[in-house]
Amino acid sequence: MKLRRDHLSIDPEKCTGCRRCMIACAMKHHNRIDPDFSCVEVIRFASQDLEMPVICLACETAPCIKVCPMNARIRQANGTVVTNTEVCIGCRACVYICPVGSPRINPATGQTMTCNLCADESEPWCVAACRQERALTLCTEGAASKPAARRAAARSRAGSPRHY
Amino acid sequence: MKLVIIGNGIAGNQVAFDVRKKDRHARITIFSAETVPEYDPCSLPYFLGGECGRTDVFRKTPEDYTTHNIDLVYDSRVVSIDPDAKTITPHAGGQVSYDKLVLAHGGDLFTPPIPGIHNPGVFSCKQLAETEKLAAHNGRSAVVIGSGAIGIEAAEALKRKGYAVHVVELMDWILPSLFDEPTARRLETALKGYGIHVFTGEKVLEIKGTGQVTAVVTDRRTIACDTVVVATGVVPGTALARTAGIDTGRGIPVNRQMQTSVPDIYACGDCVETIDACTGETAMFQLKHNAIEQGQVAARHIVGEKTRYLGAYAFARAHFFSTHAATFGKTQRATDCILGDKRVIEREDKDNYLRVMLLNNQVVGGQAIGTFADGLGLLIGAMWRKDDFMEIAAKMRTTPRGGAVHTWPMLRLGNLLGF
Ligand SMILES: Cc1cc2nc3c(=O)[nH]c(=O)nc-3n(C[C@H](O)[C@H](O)[C@H](O)COP(=O)(O)OP(=O)(O)OC[C@H]3O[C@@H](n4cnc5c(N)ncnc54)[C@H](O)[C@@H]3O)c2cc1C
Ligand code: SF4
Ligand code: SF4
Repeated sequence: MKLRRDHLSIDPEKCTGCRRCMIACAMKHHNRIDPDFSCVEVIRFASQDLEMPVICLACETAPCIKVCPMNARIRQANGTVVTNTEVCIGCRACVYICPVGSPRINPATGQTMTCNLCADESEPWCVAACRQERALTLCTEGAASKPAARRAAARSRAGSPRHY
Repeated sequence: MKLVIIGNGIAGNQVAFDVRKKDRHARITIFSAETVPEYDPCSLPYFLGGECGRTDVFRKTPEDYTTHNIDLVYDSRVVSIDPDAKTITPHAGGQVSYDKLVLAHGGDLFTPPIPGIHNPGVFSCKQLAETEKLAAHNGRSAVVIGSGAIGIEAAEALKRKGYAVHVVELMDWILPSLFDEPTARRLETALKGYGIHVFTGEKVLEIKGTGQVTAVVTDRRTIACDTVVVATGVVPGTALARTAGIDTGRGIPVNRQMQTSVPDIYACGDCVETIDACTGETAMFQLKHNAIEQGQVAARHIVGEKTRYLGAYAFARAHFFSTHAATFGKTQRATDCILGDKRVIEREDKDNYLRVMLLNNQVVGGQAIGTFADGLGLLIGAMWRKDDFMEIAAKMRTTPRGGAVHTWPMLRLGNLLGF
C-alpha cells in the first residue's frame, strides 16, 4: 500500500488540554462550536494531571475497515480512513476494534466520524489551532523520514498493537 | 497461471482481486453458487430491517469483475474436485482445470432436525436470496430459533419491521458463545426492554403448520407465529474437501500460508480451521475480518510472495437499537478448562458494564456494554502485547503528576479498569 501523504503527529507532552483543536474540528466539519462534534478527543487523566489528544491514525492495515458490517469505513486518496455516512448504521464496531478508540459518535446521527486531515485545506484546522503549543503537527510525506518527526509519530501510536 | 476460486464470498473475492493487483496475466475464475456479485452477509440483517437498501449490501458490481478481467460464473455450485487431474466439476457438468485452486465456499447454515423445519414460512438470513424472501414475506409474529449474533440481529430487524418477535435459545443465556452470563443477562434485559420476548434454556420441539407456519412448540410453551427464522449457527463446509481427499477436521485445516494438505489447493474464510493469533489454539471464528486477512495471505502466497498468517482473532459486536456491546478473546467459560491464576475484573455504572478476563495477569478476553466498550480496543491491544496488569496497576500509582506521558496507553487502560 502506498504510504499516505501526510500524518498527524501528536505530542502529548505539549498538550495543555485547552481543547481548541476540538472546537476547530467541529467548526470545520459541522460548522458549530461544540466539542461533541469533533473528531479529536482530548482525554484527561485527572489523577496524573495529563492530557492526551486522540485522533484516528489511519492505520495502514486499519482493522476498522475489516470489521464494519456495512463496509462504510473508506480509505481515501490522502490515506485517511473516513466513514461513509450514506450507509453507516452506527453499530460502533469500528470504535470497539480501534486500538486507540478513536472514531467519535456524531451526537446528531449516531454515526461515526474520524479525521480526514481536512482534505480540502492546506492545513488541518486542529493543527492551526494548536500552532502555539505544537502538540498537533502535520508530518508531511517528505518530513516523515526525519528522525525527530518519525519519533514523534511513533510516540503517538505507542498504544497500537503491532499486529494490526 | 490458471486460478480457480470456489465461492464468491468475502474470502474468494479478496483472493481474486488481490491476485489480480499483482499479476495482470493470471486467468482467474470464480465459481459462485449464487446469482449476484459479492455482497456482505454482515449487512443482510440491516437490509432486512430496512436500515439500508438492497444495493448497499454489495461489495462489488458486475462491472468490477469485467474491468479486472475476472471470470465470475454465476449459479454454478462446484460439486467435486479431482486433485490428481487438477480439475473441478460444477453442478451443470463439464470439467474445469486449474493450476491453483482456492476453497472459499464458507459455511452452511446448520439446520437442526426439528419436525416442520422445511415448512413454508421458515426462513434464514444467511444468504441474500433467502433474506430477500424473508424481507418480502408479510408476517406479524416471528420466532427466531437461536440467539447467536445473527439471531439477535435478525430479531432486531424483524422488530423494526413491526413483527412481534420471540427468540428461543437452547442454552442458558443468549449469545452463549460470545458472552458470559452476567453480560448476556444484561443484554437480555435490554432486548426485553425493546419489546422482544426472550426464552432461554428452551428447546424447540416442533414447527407446526404444514401449509403455512402456525406455531412453534418448545419444551415449555407453544408460541403462535406466522414466521420462523432459523439462526442456529453456521457449520464450515467440509464435504467438498473431504470427498476430494483433502484433510478435514471441524473445518479444513490450513497452514500459515493457507494451504490445505493437498498441493496447490488453498482454503480461506469460514470453511477453514486455523489458529488463534494470541493463544495458538485451534480457531474457527467465522468472522469477516478473518476471512479478509486469510484471503490476503492466500493471494500473496499464490503470486509467490513470502507471507505468514498470524492467526485469527475473535471480535464481535452485539448491537440492537440503542444498545451497544462488544466482545473479544475468550469468555470466562472458555477459560474454565485452563490452569492458571484467573481473575475477572468487573465494572458497572448504570447500564454500562465491563468484564475483563485475566489469566496470569494478562488479558485473555473482555466484554463490554455501553461506554466501557469505547475502550475495548485498548484492551485488545493489551491482549496482543501480553501486558502485565500488575505493572499497569503499579504505573497508575507511581506515575508522577504531569510527567511520563509515554505511559498514556497504560494510564488509559488503568483508568478503564478503575485501578
Ligand atoms: C447474517 C450474518 C451476519 C454476520 N455478521 C457478521 C459481523 O457482524 N461481523 C463479522 O465479523 N462477521 C459476520 N458474519 C460472518 C461473515 O459474514 C463471514 O465470516 C464471512 O462472510 C465469511 O466469508 P467467506 O468468504 O468465507 O464465506 P461467504 O461470504 O459465506 O461466501 C461463501 C460463498 O460460497 C458460495 N458457495 C458455497 N458452496 C459453494 C460451492 N460448492 N460452489 C460454489 N460456490 C459455493 C456461497 O454461496 C457463498 O456465496 C455474518 C454472517 C451472516 C450470515
Ligand atoms: S483502527 Fe482506529 S486509528 Fe486505525 S484507521 Fe481505524 S479508526 Fe483510525
Ligand atoms: S459505526 Fe458505522 S462505520 Fe463504524 S463499523 Fe458501524 S457501520 Fe461501520
